[in-house]
Amino acid sequence: MAYQDIVSTGSVYKGRTGMWLYLFHRITGVALFGYLLLHIISTALILAGPEIYEGAEAIYKNFYFRIGEVGLMAAVLAHAINGLRIIAVDLWSKGSDYQKALNISAMIVFIAIFVPTTYKMIDSYFELCLEKSSAGTTIVDCMIRPLPDWKTK
Amino acid sequence: MKSVKRTDWGRRTPPIGGTNFELYAWFFMRISGLFLVLLAAGHMFIMHVFNDTLNLDYEFVAARWDTPYWRTFDWLLLTLSILHGTNGLRIVMHDNIANKTFRQLALYGLYFTSTAFFILGTYVLVAFVREV
Ligand code: HEM
Repeated sequence: MAYQDIVSTGSVYKGRTGMWLYLFHRITGVALFGYLLLHIISTALILAGPEIYEGAEAIYKNFYFRIGEVGLMAAVLAHAINGLRIIAVDLWSKGSDYQKALNISAMIVFIAIFVPTTYKMIDSYFELCLEKSSAGTTIVDCMIRPLPDWKTK
Repeated sequence: MKSVKRTDWGRRTPPIGGTNFELYAWFFMRISGLFLVLLAAGHMFIMHVFNDTLNLDYEFVAARWDTPYWRTFDWLLLTLSILHGTNGLRIVMHDNIANKTFRQLALYGLYFTSTAFFILGTYVLVAFVREV
């Protein structure tokens, strides 16, 4: 079963799981590369010293960016796990016999890792926000305020 | 391994002659992908799950880069993700930009950008000396 008869069938876009995974892999890959460039710039600011670096980092320390971080985590996990699926299909001699099982496993593994990491990232956001803000700060404050008012330490 | 002789290439031209560059590029995507699971996913877990980016400050980065090991880790991550991402985007551009002139321009822009960011990232990792 490892080889199929090769016939010309016109379009390769069949609209099944494989096509969606391919499209998803491409979108996450391009998005990750774009993020990588921004990330290199923001990290390079460290050469300008603590004030400038931490001033720039402060922009990211709010709930909106935390949602963005969860999205970044989703993109990395989805691309990495689906990438491993592609590698299994291409380089493992039996890979192409188990394509359906590999598709489903990739999605299950993604959810199994993504759900607990999301929980940790959101939970620890509120814990740290409450801990670092002045007395009387509520969870709602932590959610809607663009820049949480950190206790000056 | 049994091989299949391909007789019908659909609407594509059979790849006759040339170099094996595309084969090596294909293989490189898979090998670098394996390393990036450790490097990129590892980096995400260290910075966003085991630590919290709310605690990220100058001291945190300086302390990591006090050891040559983390500088090496970060440089490998930088190098492999730029190479893997650049080759990935090269494929996307070949697939999606039909006009030859625009495609060449986009590819040159990509190679220029990637080289510049690789140099910037490497410079930061080598030149950083903590101020406090
Ligand atoms: C975390 C581990 C990663 C794994 C296992 C992985 C795996 C792969 C594989 C196997 C391919 C080839 C797909 C194909 O030929 O059909 C690929 C494509 C690609 N990857 Fe990754 N990758 C990873 C991380 C990254 C990162 C960090 C970036 C961003 C810099 C990235 C950007 C891309 C791009 C732009 C493509 C081209 C998409 C396409 O051709 O449709 N990857 N990846």
